[in-house]
Amino acid sequence: MSHTGDFVIETRGLSKSFGDVNALRGVDLNVPRHSIFGFLGPNGAGKTTLMKTLLGLSRPTSGSGTIFGHDIVTESVSIRERIGYLPQQPRFIEYMTARENLLFAAKFFFNGPQAKIRERCDEMLELVGLADKADRPTKGFSGGEKQRLGIALAQVNYPDLLVLDEPASALDPLGRQSVLEIMERLRKHTTIFYSTHILDDVQRVSDTVAILNRGQVVASGPIESILNGKDGVVYSISLKGAPGNLGERLSKLSWVTHTSVSQVNGTSVWQVSVSDEDTAEVDLLRQVLAEPAATVTEFSRKKYELEEVFMDIVKGDGNDS
Amino acid sequence: MTANSELQRVNEWNGLRGFANLLRKENRAWWSTRRWWINALLWPGMLGGLVAVMLFMLPTVAEATGDPAVAAAGGPLPFGLQMARTIFFEMGSMALAIGAIVLSQDLILDEKHSGVTEWLLAKPVARRSYVLAKAVASVLAILVLLIALPALVVYLMYFARLGSPYPLLPFLGGVGIMIVHTLFYLSLTLMLSTIFNSRAPILGIALGAVMSGGLIGSIIQPLMYVMPWALGKFAALVADGQPIPAGLLWAPLTASILWGVVFAIVATAKFERMEF
Repeated sequence: MSHTGDFVIETRGLSKSFGDVNALRGVDLNVPRHSIFGFLGPNGAGKTTLMKTLLGLSRPTSGSGTIFGHDIVTESVSIRERIGYLPQQPRFIEYMTARENLLFAAKFFFNGPQAKIRERCDEMLELVGLADKADRPTKGFSGGEKQRLGIALAQVNYPDLLVLDEPASALDPLGRQSVLEIMERLRKHTTIFYSTHILDDVQRVSDTVAILNRGQVVASGPIESILNGKDGVVYSISLKGAPGNLGERLSKLSWVTHTSVSQVNGTSVWQVSVSDEDTAEVDLLRQVLAEPAATVTEFSRKKYELEEVFMDIVKGDGNDS
Repeated sequence: MTANSELQRVNEWNGLRGFANLLRKENRAWWSTRRWWINALLWPGMLGGLVAVMLFMLPTVAEATGDPAVAAAGGPLPFGLQMARTIFFEMGSMALAIGAIVLSQDLILDEKHSGVTEWLLAKPVARRSYVLAKAVASVLAILVLLIALPALVVYLMYFARLGSPYPLLPFLGGVGIMIVHTLFYLSLTLMLSTIFNSRAPILGIALGAVMSGGLIGSIIQPLMYVMPWALGKFAALVADGQPIPAGLLWAPLTASILWGVVFAIVATAKFERMEF
């Protein structure tokens, strides 16, 4: 597989089976450099399996993958040199303090100068807001503190890629908020590839998204294009009064692909799907205003919520549970 | 912020990447926690205590009760020395094997179950480094805490009882055989913990091999030449300076060392293929 340089992670037909269970089925993935790549999927979709396979913790049954152009099976140590990983449930060496855990992790990457290594660990503790708890054994840490320490540990080696498995799923709203803020702070230094099933988080921080369902990538791309939904760009128009032959006129336009009308409290609400966004931006409102008996009370481009798109894609893929 | 360029990157061979750091961690788990002093008190205390009874109390009691074994051994002092050798080298070998099994059975399993292994292997760490670091640190700790310290205590007791040094070379020969015996079971346990996912089969097989070895060996006698089951008895005989036919000693001794190497290779190979 050739490495283009624009993508940090590239997989082609990556599959993983556990006996009769196909956890991953031909996953093709391209994670752009310097993106915050949200990897979505319902529980059991194969998100953690894919992450573990990328990290060399699990071997693919078939297919291939590269990270920074290195093969994920044969060059795993070189890959892990440049990665920071936060497992779903972060674990540490329990008899060590937070600072000692960081020093221990840092020494897999650096062997000196000791003062600079300590300085780097202190910076990481500061970054995740654990400086005041640095010398406490990790055994007594709360879930949020563990998650934040996990991020600090994952970031200690200046990774070119951060792999975070459900970084905020087990946290209360404040803990989640704090983890997302840390991710946003880190985005200028590194590419972040993270899995989650919390759609609000993805919509808030991700720029690129892939949706995994039953071991297959069912949608991927920039978040804006995912949020457009599979019907493409849709405009929503609310009209009062008689619309005349508006429907007929719209359906004759080559760039209008579909129209539908519903009645809400005496107002007709039109949904117009278009294939040419630029022309629609200029022409659509003009076409509607040309109808003399109708008054436009609202005109906007329909914004999908990620949850709506996600449910549509996942259910459309045959997962109705 | 500390710049990446200000830090020196680790430059290790990828095949043993992370070994030094993992070994430091494993040594710390032995020597910076209460584990070291518990074992430093337990083994010299238990084995030294039993030997003290054999050296200082049993001969007097046996002589007073007219035990014919005292006369057969050549008097109370030779009787006491003989019993002390049996206790320390023969029974001690068995106790140390059990100790090595108990202390090493969860070294890999605990971290595997808690997720620590997964976290560690996501660092630039070669898998064989992980297994070797555990093995090397355990060998070091077991040699010092379970064998060297009790042997020193016992040797000093011999000195105190005899009023002069006990012949050093035979004593060290006996201790050497104990080391081989103990390390056989340590490597067996480490191998089992890369094969099985729960304690029961690990403890069952390893402890079963210690406890029932003598019985199996008496039924299938050729096994005594390729297994370590007679090494405790040989350790006592060597420490006593008694001659043992070369084939009888060297065959199980060499076989035990080779088994240990095989177990280590299997453990590493199995761990390389493990999925997390």
